Amino acid sequence: MPVRGPSLPYGTCPYCQTLILREGLRVEDVGKVAVLPFDVSPIQLGTTLVADGRGMQVVGRVRWAWAGGSWNEWLAIAETGAQFWLAEAAGMFMLTAEWPQLLEDPKVRSFAQGEAITRGDVIEVEGRQLFASDIKKVECLGSEGDLPISTLVGTRMTSVDFRSASGEVLSLQRDKTSTTAWFGDSWDLTSLKPGNLRQLEGWTIPGEPR
Amino acid sequence: MSGGKAITCPACGGKIEVRAAGFTVNLACQNCGSLLDVSLPEVVLIRRYKNAKDRFALEIGKRGTVFGQEWEVVGALRRKDQITIWQEFLLFNPYLGYRWLLVADGEWQFGTPLADRPQGDRNRVFWRGENFSRLGRDQPTSTTAVAGEFYWRVKAGDTANATLFQSGETILSREVSDGEENWTQLVPVDETEIENAFGLNRRSLPRRKAAQGLMQFKAAPGMEQDDLGRMFLLAMAISLFAAIAMALLAGPSTKTSSMIQVPVGGQIAPVKIGTITVRRPWQFVTIDADANRFENRWVDLEYNLVDRSSEQSIDAFGLVEHYAGTSSDGAWTEGSHHGDTMFGHVPRGTYDVYVSGSAHGWPVDPAVTDAWGSTETINLTIEASTGAMSWGMWWTLVFALFAWPVSILWWRFRDK
Repeated sequence: MPVRGPSLPYGTCPYCQTLILREGLRVEDVGKVAVLPFDVSPIQLGTTLVADGRGMQVVGRVRWAWAGGSWNEWLAIAETGAQFWLAEAAGMFMLTAEWPQLLEDPKVRSFAQGEAITRGDVIEVEGRQLFASDIKKVECLGSEGDLPISTLVGTRMTSVDFRSASGEVLSLQRDKTSTTAWFGDSWDLTSLKPGNLRQLEGWTIPGEPR
Repeated sequence: MSGGKAITCPACGGKIEVRAAGFTVNLACQNCGSLLDVSLPEVVLIRRYKNAKDRFALEIGKRGTVFGQEWEVVGALRRKDQITIWQEFLLFNPYLGYRWLLVADGEWQFGTPLADRPQGDRNRVFWRGENFSRLGRDQPTSTTAVAGEFYWRVKAGDTANATLFQSGETILSREVSDGEENWTQLVPVDETEIENAFGLNRRSLPRRKAAQGLMQFKAAPGMEQDDLGRMFLLAMAISLFAAIAMALLAGPSTKTSSMIQVPVGGQIAPVKIGTITVRRPWQFVTIDADANRFENRWVDLEYNLVDRSSEQSIDAFGLVEHYAGTSSDGAWTEGSHHGDTMFGHVPRGTYDVYVSGSAHGWPVDPAVTDAWGSTETINLTIEASTGAMSWGMWWTLVFALFAWPVSILWWRFRDK
C-alpha cells in the first residue's frame, strides 16, 4: 500500500477500502471507507501545486456531502510537512492552512463548545473581515490516500465557511471530538501551477500540447 | 466522447451522460426532461416531466473554443425579468471550471464567476481597480426553463434579484437569491464566434425586441418596462397636432413691411407701414421689428392698427434693445436686435399699420450730433402680418410636454 504522507495517521487501502491507523510501528484496521463516486476532478493523488512560493503534493482526499451537493477536499503536504486542504467547489479552489491561533477567538471558542454560527457573522483574521457564508452539516462520502482524520462511513461534521471581499476564506470544522480552523485564499487551478494533473478523457490539459 | 459518467434516468429509464460528474447537483434528463439529483451515488428523481424538451440556441454537449479555451455546453436556462427573456448557458471545462454565455436581444456575453467580491454601495462598486456604476435598477428575475446539468439545486421557477454595474464594455452582475450573493463578470462576445464554436439554432434564439430608433433606450439592459417610450411618442404627437391646429387657427396670411429710421436720443412721428386684412372673425397679428447692429441702445416702438371702416385703433408696444459690456465675470451681452409683438385678438377688417418710436442710449443718450454733424440713427425693418402663429406659445407647450419624460431620461442616464 503506497504511503505518500508518512506523517499522517490514517491511510485508505486502495484495494480493499480498509481505513488503516498507523501509530508508530503499529498498524490498526479501523474499518471500511466508502468507494469514492466517479467525478471529473482534475486533481489526483500525486498532483503538485505551488502556492505563494511553497511547493506541495496532494496525498489524500475526502469527499463530503451536504444537502446542496458534494465536494472534494484534497489534502496537500508541503516539504516542511505542513498540511493544506484544497477544497474544490464549482471549478474554483480554496487552499487553506491550519490556523490554530484562531481557536482563541471568542466566537470560534463558543463554536467549538457547540454554539451555532449564523450567516453574516464576522470574524477578523489577519486584519481582514470575513463573513460567515456557508454553514453546513456534512457527511463523508468516501476517501482515498493519507489523511489526518478518520473517514469511516457515516463520519459527520459541521463545516462553516467565512469569506472576505477579496476572496480569503476561513473554514471551521467541528466533529465529535475537536474543532479546527483553516485559513487561506481562493484560487483558480492555473494560478496554482499544477503538475501531474489527472488526464481526463476527451479533454486537453491547458498549457499542454494536444 | 467526454470522460463523463453514464446514469440511468429513474423516470424514463433512458441513459444520461453526466458531463461534470462530481460537480453537478441537478440534472434535467435529456430524454424526458425530469429533474434529477445526481450529487449522491444514488440518483434521486426530484420532479418527473414528460417530454419537456425545450429548445435553446445552443445544444447541450456541444464543445467549442471561446476566447482561446475549450468549453462544453452543459446546462441551459431560460430566464426573464420585466423587460426581456434571455437564455443562459453553463460552460464547463474540468481544468478551468465554469463560465457562462448569455444571449439577449441579439447580444452575447461571456460570464466569469468571481471569487472576489466588488465593494461599494447601491450605485457604484469598485472591482480590481475599476469603478462600475449601476445600470438600471434591481430586477427580479425568474428561471422559466432548464436543460442539462448544474452545480446547484436549479429548477424552473427559481427567482433572484439581479443588479448590473457597468464600466465601458464590462458589466458586473450581482445576483442575490436566498441570501446568497453571486457576482459574475460579463464581457461582450461576437455571435459569429459563438456560432463557429458551438453552432447555433437560430430559430431558438430569444426573440429580439422591436427596439429601434426612439424606443431603443427602453431595451437597455436592466431598464424596467415602463411608459417612457409612450410618453415621448405622445408628447411628439401632441406637439405636432398643436402645430397643425395653430396653423389652421391662424388662417390666411397677409403681410406688409417697411423700413424706418429712428434717431438715437430722438423720436419719430407715426409712419404708415402698409395695410393688412383680417379675413376671419378674428386672427392673430404679429409685428416683427428687425434692427441693424447697435450696442447699448434701446428702441421703444408703438404700433397702431387703425381699422379703415371704423377709424378705431388697436395699440401695442414693442421694444428692441441690446447691451454689451465687461464685468468681473468677463464680457457680457444682453437683449436682442429683434423684437416681436403680437396682437392676440384682432377682429375682421382692413387695417393700416402705423409705427412711431424713440431710441435712446445707455446709460445716457449720446450727443445728438457727432463731430461730422450727422445724427446717429437706428434702422428697423418693420413687418406686420396676419395669420401668424404664436411660436412662443407652441414652444411653451412643447417644453411642458417633454419636461417630464426628458427629466426621467436624464435622471436615469446621469450615472453613466
